[in-house]
Amino acid sequence: MSYKLVTFKNVCKNFEKIPAVKDINFDIGKGEFLAIMGPSGCGKTTTLRMLAGLEIPSSGEIRFNNRLMNNVKPHERDTPLVWQSLALFPFLNVQENVEFGLKMRGLSPKIRNKKSLEWLEKLEVKELAKRDISTLSGGQKQRVALARSLVMEPEILLLDEPLSALDAHLVIRMQAVLTQLQKELDITFVYVTHSQSEAFAMADRVIIMNVGEVSQIGTPKDIYRSPTNRFVAEFVGRNNILSGKVYDIKSNIAYIKTNAGCFNFQLDKNKPIQKGDKINYIISADLMNFSSVKPQKSNIINCRLISEEYVGSIVTLFLESTDGTEFKIQITERELSKFNIQNGNKYWLSWSEKNVHVLIEE
Amino acid sequence: MKPTKNNLNIYSLTFRLPIIIWQLLFFVGPVLFMVAMSFFLVKNYRMTEAFEFINWTKMFSKNYFWDSYWFTIIIAGTSTLLTMLIAFPASFTLAFKVSDNIRRWAIFMLIIPFFTSYLVRTFSWYVILAEKGVINAFFSYLDLGPFKMLNTHIGTLVGYMTLTLPLVIILQTVTMANIDRNLIEAAYNLGCKPKSIIQRVIIPLSKTGFIIAAVFCFILSFGDFVAPFYLGGSQEPTLPILILDTTKSGQQWPRAAVVAIVMMITLFSIAFIGIMTAYSKSFKK
Amino acid sequence: MTKEKYLNFILITYLIFIFVFIFTPIAFSVIFSFNSQRFPTIPLGNFSLEWYIKIFNDPGVWQAAINSVIVSLVTCILATFLGFCTAYSDYRYRFKFKGLYLALVLLPPTIPLIILALAMLAWLSKIGMSGQLWSIICAHSVLTAPFAMAIIRLRLNQIDPDLESAAWNLGGSEWATMRYVILPYCKPAIISSLCLTAAVSFDEFAISWFVSGLNKTVPVIILEIVQGNIDPQVNAIGTFVFFTSMTLVITAQIFFLTWQMKGKNK
Repeated sequence: MSYKLVTFKNVCKNFEKIPAVKDINFDIGKGEFLAIMGPSGCGKTTTLRMLAGLEIPSSGEIRFNNRLMNNVKPHERDTPLVWQSLALFPFLNVQENVEFGLKMRGLSPKIRNKKSLEWLEKLEVKELAKRDISTLSGGQKQRVALARSLVMEPEILLLDEPLSALDAHLVIRMQAVLTQLQKELDITFVYVTHSQSEAFAMADRVIIMNVGEVSQIGTPKDIYRSPTNRFVAEFVGRNNILSGKVYDIKSNIAYIKTNAGCFNFQLDKNKPIQKGDKINYIISADLMNFSSVKPQKSNIINCRLISEEYVGSIVTLFLESTDGTEFKIQITERELSKFNIQNGNKYWLSWSEKNVHVLIEE
Repeated sequence: MKPTKNNLNIYSLTFRLPIIIWQLLFFVGPVLFMVAMSFFLVKNYRMTEAFEFINWTKMFSKNYFWDSYWFTIIIAGTSTLLTMLIAFPASFTLAFKVSDNIRRWAIFMLIIPFFTSYLVRTFSWYVILAEKGVINAFFSYLDLGPFKMLNTHIGTLVGYMTLTLPLVIILQTVTMANIDRNLIEAAYNLGCKPKSIIQRVIIPLSKTGFIIAAVFCFILSFGDFVAPFYLGGSQEPTLPILILDTTKSGQQWPRAAVVAIVMMITLFSIAFIGIMTAYSKSFKK
Repeated sequence: MTKEKYLNFILITYLIFIFVFIFTPIAFSVIFSFNSQRFPTIPLGNFSLEWYIKIFNDPGVWQAAINSVIVSLVTCILATFLGFCTAYSDYRYRFKFKGLYLALVLLPPTIPLIILALAMLAWLSKIGMSGQLWSIICAHSVLTAPFAMAIIRLRLNQIDPDLESAAWNLGGSEWATMRYVILPYCKPAIISSLCLTAAVSFDEFAISWFVSGLNKTVPVIILEIVQGNIDPQVNAIGTFVFFTSMTLVITAQIFFLTWQMKGKNK
């Protein structure tokens, strides 16, 4: 990380004695695209609101450019937020909405007009300048809301689930608009979402939060491939997680016994594992192989196909082993078409011992 | 965003304090002073501050006070019952038999009289109901009448209804229009006859709203002096007329205060009982 | 089926009858005001502007009209200001004794006017404020502020709860946000409230009669004429009063309904 723009140090927030955020610590680098992700009620929005000054931390320190921000009023900060509800002013037209922040700063009408048009143009909605907010489509409102925040030319832009109200195809388009803007303007983005695809598609780094605590911080790849705890492994989804006990270790291969059968994995030098350890044995759904005949390998299991789910060209198959454990596998539709698949039939799943990620159970 | 917790600063107090100061000065102040005044003495048409119970004992020992008290309760109660009954078929029609649009317009219309001069409307009734007024002129064509309506209880009741009927219809309509239509459909499908649907479904479900309408109706009738005075003839004075007479002619403000306090206690008790029954009944279900 | 149609016919007829009952006094007051008879009845007398000319030439009526306008104008501004402050406090803040605070605001309309009138008269005489236009204004604002509060509170119910925070977030102080966001948002409700409180104040007679002293308002004049004898002047004045308050009430409702509809479309 280059320069630390924002620092959270031991930050806690309680609402009427009920903790919403518990002792979180992290930094945000300058020019970084950071996503904060987690299930609802995990404290992600509270964290963002503290950054905007809309909530005051109960304890701990929030620093911005090394300045302590805890008691700085929201309007004295330069942390524009793009709201989940968008919160556009319904009694102002598009351009007046965009000019609002500049007006609050006391800029002259001439400069306000120039800047607001400039930003509306950058977001390709200049022709809507005189329109009423209620006449805009969802995507257009989104762009106006972005323009209203960006016209402040801040160092950091906060986004609270800004795409949650949009249709799926618009979400993809707006993701591209956002990433491009972020690179172009070199502004720090802090993006709160519950959507894994949004976070992983755009962010440089992702923070996963759960019940008010930070579960893991890392690049999307880190989080996807090497979750550091079971919550993250489950939350990220599409992971097959088995619980078991190590019963043997030979050279750099460990053997484990689970309800679904016995499997093995390659040991990692940084993660010492001993015989008798209880572990979570994780194989990502996209790293599994699918076949109709029994492969001659070590990590295999025979499963009955239950259902399939198509998202674009990727298919997720849901299967069940004889002991009732559920398995997921992701393969391309093209590859799947080689098989004559039918629900209820039995197939073989297999994976390499190198692709296994393990977590020692506490 | 939930309402922000109590934080005292200039901004929040700017909005919170004005009404407190204003109501203390011009609402709580007057009412408390009136209570205090009921213990003052009047000598030679001049009021002196004191703490004596003489006004209370004097008023309570007078027969005309108690006559007036019961008369007011009975006539306001009768008016409430009649208004509720007369309003019901109209509200029922508005709630179930007309389109949403017509209902909205009807309510729009019913709000208008509530905010227009009650006094002029009463005077208009005075002329219409008089012995040679419009209604009796109409009856004389049919060789009927003349009927005496002015200076009778009928006059008083017409006056009360002028005041309360629009409000009662609005409250009843809104209450019934909010009943879940599926419940009525279900009762209908189960073989309930229309009459028993009204008795067993609509009225029990609208109980709270109806009681609130009745309480409002009672408060308005109980406190009104115009209808009994101009249309009812004031031979049997109601409590408001008693206050009026005592204040305006006799200079006996402390005694008027006694009457006013008795009225307030009566109203609050009735409102309290009404609201308690309105909510307790719906709780049991 | 035919039975139900028959029943529906009866119900609709009944409803129309009720509306006739409610609007009869208003209609007759207007008709009688143009009628030449001293004691109006049917058949109607000739069309006449006699009563209008009479009140037009009566300086007492003019003075009362001016007083009424002043009282309702100041009352509606004062009551709407008080109602707005209270509605905003209720919307924005939680605080101790809030139930008591709201009761204090909403109680006055449930107390009979004659009682408020007596209490006002006694209190204002005590503090030496009786018999002036100000006395009426103070009393009327207490009476009408709850209406203002209710209307504006309904509008604030519809506000996007993030709107105020969004304005702070864009650099607006609390005061600037009040000026540029909350007030413009509440504008239709504020107009509604101004009209409605003005209408109530314009028609109120009990308190005005008790505390006005020599500064009579229009309803007090009407009350005094009615106490004397039958005089169709009342109908002429009444017609003016009706049209003034109906205009106010309908304007208030139009503003109210427009934003109610807009709120629903959202």
